[in-house]
Amino acid sequence: MKRYLKLVNFEFNRIAKVYFVLLAIVLVSQFAGVIVESKSYLKEANHMIYEELMPKAEFFLQYGPMSLERVFASIWFFGPIALCIGVVAFYIFLIWYRDWFGKNTFIYRLLMLPTARLNVFLAKLTTILLMTLGFVAFQLILFPIESTILKWMVPKDFRMDMGTLEVIGSFRELQMIIPTSFIEFILYYGAGFAVVTLLFTAIMFERCYRIKGILLGIGYGFLAVVLFFTPILIQEFLQNHYLYPSELLLLEIVMGLIVTCCSIWTSSYLLKKKIRV
Amino acid sequence: MNNIKFNNRDPVYVQVVRHFKEQIATGMLEPGQEIPSRRELANKLKINPNTAQRAYKEMEEEGLIYTERNLPSRITKDEHVLGSVREELILQAVDSFVNSIRSINVPVDEVLYLVKEKYSAEDKN
Amino acid sequence: MIEVKDITKKFGRKEVLKGVSFTANKGEITCLIGINGVGKTTILNAIMALTPIHSGQILINGETIKKESFEKITFIPDAITMLPNMRISDAMEFMDDFYNSWNQKRATELLGFFKLKESDRISDLSKGNTAKVNLLLGLAMDVDYILMDEPFSGIDIFSREQIADVFTSHLIEDRGVIITTHEISDIEHLIDKVVLLDNGQVLKEFNAEAVREDEGKSVVDVMREVFKA
Repeated sequence: MKRYLKLVNFEFNRIAKVYFVLLAIVLVSQFAGVIVESKSYLKEANHMIYEELMPKAEFFLQYGPMSLERVFASIWFFGPIALCIGVVAFYIFLIWYRDWFGKNTFIYRLLMLPTARLNVFLAKLTTILLMTLGFVAFQLILFPIESTILKWMVPKDFRMDMGTLEVIGSFRELQMIIPTSFIEFILYYGAGFAVVTLLFTAIMFERCYRIKGILLGIGYGFLAVVLFFTPILIQEFLQNHYLYPSELLLLEIVMGLIVTCCSIWTSSYLLKKKIRV
Repeated sequence: MNNIKFNNRDPVYVQVVRHFKEQIATGMLEPGQEIPSRRELANKLKINPNTAQRAYKEMEEEGLIYTERNLPSRITKDEHVLGSVREELILQAVDSFVNSIRSINVPVDEVLYLVKEKYSAEDKN
Repeated sequence: MIEVKDITKKFGRKEVLKGVSFTANKGEITCLIGINGVGKTTILNAIMALTPIHSGQILINGETIKKESFEKITFIPDAITMLPNMRISDAMEFMDDFYNSWNQKRATELLGFFKLKESDRISDLSKGNTAKVNLLLGLAMDVDYILMDEPFSGIDIFSREQIADVFTSHLIEDRGVIITTHEISDIEHLIDKVVLLDNGQVLKEFNAEAVREDEGKSVVDVMREVFKA
């Protein structure tokens, strides 16, 4: 356990610099988004009301009030989030391959630690999880600040203030990233965790058997997905809606846990018996 | 004790023992003088510590060195052993000299004369 | 004792190890010699469970390798096992963090022995100094066995002499060492045991001093006979 925690700490530190740069990009870009969007809204309002002499009520009817919603629809907001998602997705692979390639042979060191090799696997998995949850937490901290900046920028009668939950609720895409109920949160991120575990296992297959391993990895992934969806498939094709949706959900959760445990067990076996440097 | 030129075909421990004998015979090592530990010797001569150990064991068996309790080993003070070391070295050298000179068929008197000449010439230098 | 018992291994269809057996004792330096690409590195990897074998068995002090074994045996591959952006001190701290058998006192002594600066970054080191750091990371551990893959290859003569000095010093103590090499002349006097490998097989396993004593041959003489045959 002690060595696992040390490994997590070590793995996180390896990406920390990049990670904090990403956080900074998110912060700067989103704050800039609030400012730029607010300014352009006010400019538009000024233009319409004072130059085109449109009545205020008419303007509101056509343009709506200024709110964070407008900011979130812009590239300033979604751009950096997409970047973060991309980096995490890329790092899922890089976190392993960086230890095999390049001038160093750090994988030797990791595999020769006096601890179960599964801990190396779990530490990398935890690092990916920490990165992801860190982004989410950071975004949650940013919301109220962005809301405050908006208040500074836009006079009260031009804006519509929204709470954080309201903000998230107004965007489907945002709800995918930050679910508004705890159950949903666990389900979404649980599924994400299962997928990362599956990808890691596929990487382990590739690292053990190389080209043949790619096929094995894809095969394993296919099997895992089929296994996971078995309840739904049976429901659809054979049993004709025998289960209540809540029962089906429960069954899917159980299948997800089984598939994830299988992946972890398989990876542990491969790391112990089949891995190659 | 510095730098022995080892040859690759004789056992290293035998070469180490011979080296010690030479040092004793020439007085570089004196009777009762302390000698390095096997670890120090291995390090100094750049040989395997097991080989150094073997050389010391050999010398102990021949009575060239002795060890009292946990003290460092010393060169023997036994006159008889010391004398025989000198004799052994001289005999060995003479043997190999005779072997090589015999193959050219030189009469012994001529050889002795030349040896004397050479010796005194080198002493002058 | 490390016992390698009849191990075989294939890369694809190519058999790289065809039933290799030998033993290496604690307190002895065992040298695996093969001209080129004869699976020396693969054997060391196999001992450390860094590559799977197809059949055979490897025992360390009578047991197959397990996680605790890595406190008893260490491997120094031919490239450094630390990240390039680490300082030497970071690498030492990493070892200290993860291994109970890490001996910080000896590590500091080795730094002096090799004349290395703790604050240097691994990526900035010369080839010779990188090899020395790599060696330091293994030698500073209180382990029974040290495996070294080609510790002398590709580095300058002075670094080579310094590394050879390690073998005759207290830094090796009474440990068992297995080293692979294709260039024996630097270390002929230092080794106890020789295992000659060719084509994935052990051609001969012998004690260097015994061969000199009983047959009046040097290690190179024996190599010449065996490899020419």
